[in-house]
Amino acid sequence: MSEIALKELLYKMADDQLIQGHRNSEWTGMGPLLEEDIAFSSMAQDTIGQSLALYNLLHQLGESDPDTIAFTRNSTQFHNCVLTELPNKEYDFSLIRHFMFDTAQAIRYEALTRSSYLPLSQLAIKIRGELRYHTLHANTWIKQLGSATDESIERLQKSLLYALPFALGIFEESPYEKEIIASGIFEGEQKIKEKWLTQIQKIISQTRLTFPDIDLIQPVIGGRTGKHSEHLQPLLDEMSEVFRIDPTTEW
Amino acid sequence: MNSLDPRVIRLPKIEQEDIISPKIPLDQFGTFEVFVEPKEGKPFQHEGIVHAPNLEMAYILAKEAFTRRFTCTSLYVVDTREVYVSPMTEGENNAYELIPDAKESLNEKTTFEIYHLIKRGKQHVHQGHVAASNPTEAMAIAKTIYNKGKTVFNIWAIQSDKIRFTTQEEKDLWVTLPEKKFRDASDYKGGSKLKAFLEKEK
Repeated sequence: MSEIALKELLYKMADDQLIQGHRNSEWTGMGPLLEEDIAFSSMAQDTIGQSLALYNLLHQLGESDPDTIAFTRNSTQFHNCVLTELPNKEYDFSLIRHFMFDTAQAIRYEALTRSSYLPLSQLAIKIRGELRYHTLHANTWIKQLGSATDESIERLQKSLLYALPFALGIFEESPYEKEIIASGIFEGEQKIKEKWLTQIQKIISQTRLTFPDIDLIQPVIGGRTGKHSEHLQPLLDEMSEVFRIDPTTEW
Repeated sequence: MNSLDPRVIRLPKIEQEDIISPKIPLDQFGTFEVFVEPKEGKPFQHEGIVHAPNLEMAYILAKEAFTRRFTCTSLYVVDTREVYVSPMTEGENNAYELIPDAKESLNEKTTFEIYHLIKRGKQHVHQGHVAASNPTEAMAIAKTIYNKGKTVFNIWAIQSDKIRFTTQEEKDLWVTLPEKKFRDASDYKGGSKLKAFLEKEK
């Protein structure tokens, strides 16, 4: 198994979590309810913490230290899917994205508990409880607002249709897909995607939302190879603003 | 008046027409009581309340509102209206003395959880459970079982099947919590960093 295939997997997962965690943290202090503000902020911390764990694994494989990786690359060097970098706009979109992203995370890490790469399977087992909470939180909100009022249902439905092509981009395949599957490190994007669709549809079917014909939706891909929307670079500029004042400072 | 200040927006509108209409209720959620098990084997204790539209929403909101910092091994929530409260006492007076003795009831029984307040200003702590047909009977039965140690100032009784408990498989929700020291201000050692900085500046 070539190391480059493993690094590609770790980079895309870590970047997904860093960017998603940062976006979700933008709601801190502005959440729709005090309790929800705290919950969403805590989950953003979890997600960034998970990215740090992966950047540490990359560091052990010879990459730069986590701060340098996180704060000094430009957008074309990031491997996150486009879904994670989209601006927050209204809370309905942030909830739908949280639901789609964390469902994928939980399924991905569940598969990784069986990974032949021991550090990854250990991490997957360790954070299982965090992801259990993330999906419980997301499912509860989607079931609640997906069945509440005409306005909440209409808003979620609109966000669902908007987010879906980007969400399918989570499963953009790696050039090393066959290799990584054969090595037993990861069971591959296609399998994760199938389980994800089943789970998303299971929750949506418990609401008054409708799920579109997935075969008619064109996934937004490119994020894994550094082709991003115009939204990523401004996010990176803001995220690294303080770090760049003095990169050698000890925090 | 055009304003973004909620104190201004909420002022009563001045109306011209003589319409008589019912008072509009506040757009507010109900409350749910939150109980936390701080360590495996320790009794559950009351931590506070959350606002939520229903029991399941209350559970997910309570989890981060009350267990994001200190150690926790389990959590449960219940609608405030399901908590039955005894009279409050003080000094040497035990609240159980105000509970009439149990009369044998032939009605169908269900399980009630019993909580004691033994220090004013502290939390209610779980004692155990009893089988009873209503909250009054539950407290009367609790009087024969749990009224043994310190003076009890207040008793709560909650019907067990009204509670949203943490399931066995959800017990891992708190596994990584002890590592999240960054949620505590003391972890940043601001004082010692400032001191070191001032020493250097001298």
